[in-house]
Amino acid sequence: MSYAVSIEKMDKVLKELKKKYRVYAPIRFEKRGRYSDTDLIRYAEIDSVKDVVYNEKSDFSPKEVIHPITQTLFHFTEYEYRESQIDDKEILIFAHPCDINGIKRLDTIFLENGNNEDVYYKRLRDKVKFVLMECQEDWDTCFCISMGSNQTDDYSLAIKFGEDQLSVEVKDNEFEGFFASEEEIDFTYKFVTANQEEVNLPKIDDKEMLKKVYDLKMWEDYNARCKDCGACTSACVTCSCFTTSDVIYSENGRVGERRRVWASCQHEDFTEMAGGHSFRNTPADRMRFRTLHKVYDYKERFGEEHMCVGCGRCTDRCNQLISFSKTINKLTEEVNRLQKEVN
Amino acid sequence: MNHDINIGKLQRNCFRQSKVPGEFMLQMRVPGAVIDAKHLSLVQHVAETWGNGKFHIGTRQTFSLPGIKYENIDAVNEYIKSYIEAIEVELCDVEMDDTDKGYPTIGARNTTACIGNQHCIKGNFDTTSLARKLEKLIFPSNYHIKMSVAGCPNDCSKAHFTDFGIIGIAKMEYDYGRCIGCGKCIDACQGHATRVLSKSQGKIIKDTCCCAGCGECATVCPTGAWTRNATKFYRVIIGGRAGKQYPRMGKMFLNWVTEDVIMGIIGNWQDFSAEILEHKPIYLHGGHLIDRAGYDRFKEMILEGVELNPESEVAERIYWAETEYRANIHVKPVNK
Repeated sequence: MSYAVSIEKMDKVLKELKKKYRVYAPIRFEKRGRYSDTDLIRYAEIDSVKDVVYNEKSDFSPKEVIHPITQTLFHFTEYEYRESQIDDKEILIFAHPCDINGIKRLDTIFLENGNNEDVYYKRLRDKVKFVLMECQEDWDTCFCISMGSNQTDDYSLAIKFGEDQLSVEVKDNEFEGFFASEEEIDFTYKFVTANQEEVNLPKIDDKEMLKKVYDLKMWEDYNARCKDCGACTSACVTCSCFTTSDVIYSENGRVGERRRVWASCQHEDFTEMAGGHSFRNTPADRMRFRTLHKVYDYKERFGEEHMCVGCGRCTDRCNQLISFSKTINKLTEEVNRLQKEVN
Repeated sequence: MNHDINIGKLQRNCFRQSKVPGEFMLQMRVPGAVIDAKHLSLVQHVAETWGNGKFHIGTRQTFSLPGIKYENIDAVNEYIKSYIEAIEVELCDVEMDDTDKGYPTIGARNTTACIGNQHCIKGNFDTTSLARKLEKLIFPSNYHIKMSVAGCPNDCSKAHFTDFGIIGIAKMEYDYGRCIGCGKCIDACQGHATRVLSKSQGKIIKDTCCCAGCGECATVCPTGAWTRNATKFYRVIIGGRAGKQYPRMGKMFLNWVTEDVIMGIIGNWQDFSAEILEHKPIYLHGGHLIDRAGYDRFKEMILEGVELNPESEVAERIYWAETEYRANIHVKPVNK
């Protein structure tokens, strides 16, 4: 069923929902952007649907709700340890289709990779329900169509934001009661059907081609362009890497916690091993790794779809103006050229 | 040519004497150094109609139009009325009795500025907007003052070499949870700033003593862990100057002050100048004026009635370091 819901009414619903749920949505942090007098849009708990930024892409993805940037796993003393705890609240996340698909990719990594469920991910993920936000425009860095991530049926509510009214589709019966007295309307969520940016994916059929792709000259461009900052992987909804370390409290050197913190394959020390040995030593190596991970490796391993969902945040956040969609297209052109040479 | 021209009067009208007798260079103010490009056509018209067809991008960011003959000055002044009104009255809200006789005073020079955060990725604030607000405080006035406004501590506008240099700084705030300990901010601070960041237990610690407020850490932070406090803060450098006798770089007078403080101290400048110069607006660099008063008296008078925000820091004393072209008293000719 779909309903026309005023902002005021939706805020009342939100107030009710917040008794059971932590409700996360992209919101604006004024003047907190990378550059002076620019805003930062990222996920945080909301108090009003008026806070939800639905008509601009968020700088960061919703992954930080269930894969926190800094996450304490357990606390330890000299003789004992205690697992970290989370509260009883369920989680409701406002998200666009690409992000919901992105979180499915994270599910694969955290829950299905190596037949080992990550309990710290799972305990948050199990709580999540999605509120689908309609994409009212196709932003110029989006390429969800090319990645097949423009659609989803994994949502409880779907919302189209208007000036002073929302169109709400209720898919999950749990939420039907909140809207029973509202005006029924004929609203069905419209998925984006075209992007300005079209990405052609590389067809890498065998290991021989893969080796040639490794040696492509195009990667070397990034030695001068990429500054290894890792803004791309931080913004990416599907990047899941973290580093685990023990933190010892300074007031008592025998007490501390084990925590994990996001890591980035774009950082120089990402592949550093004991003894200082490292095997992706240049920005070019790291750029190649990330690109292939997103549009080759993951699918090679898990079979169904590519890791990248085409949200385009890596492009938006790159302060060196490196476009990931253009990078993929360049790669595909090169692969096609190599293919012709073979034939 | 038998000229009989009161060049002092023309100078106060912003027409500068040329080495060619009877010719003058008009200096048109551009407070904060940014205006709409449409005004260029007026500048071009004046240069081509009454000047020698050229214009100099003045060292104080004026439009300087040389080669204007004395007899055409009235016509030029009449023509630039629309420019003066557009820039001084409309943009800067300056109170002027008369706009058809050209610029009424030259005392307070054009306030220079870098492009600031209107464009620059390093800029911490809108330099032009601040310069326009300052214009209302200093213009028109026969008392001399030179100011420069810099968007960040890079100080591309050379705030260190002017009477009052105002530099935009940002109070950086750190979100421990968002930090991934990658150390990019440490590298940036090490390479570009004051080396106040270091790593401890996978996160960043900061020596708050000496943060330059540049914002480099936020520029490179991949996760948005470093952000600028939304309040704009400023550093004020005083007493810098060029000149033949004792050029010197200015020194820090105030740090971490808000815009209200800036407006307060610049608002006090004319009274300070009048007091020290015994109400005779003679030409004296601001730095010399501060020297004449002595720093303690300057500080007392310039901060009169100014409410300092709690974050403010004020220089207790200033150690000037001049280059003494006039007073090389220890250097003697070899034969004596």
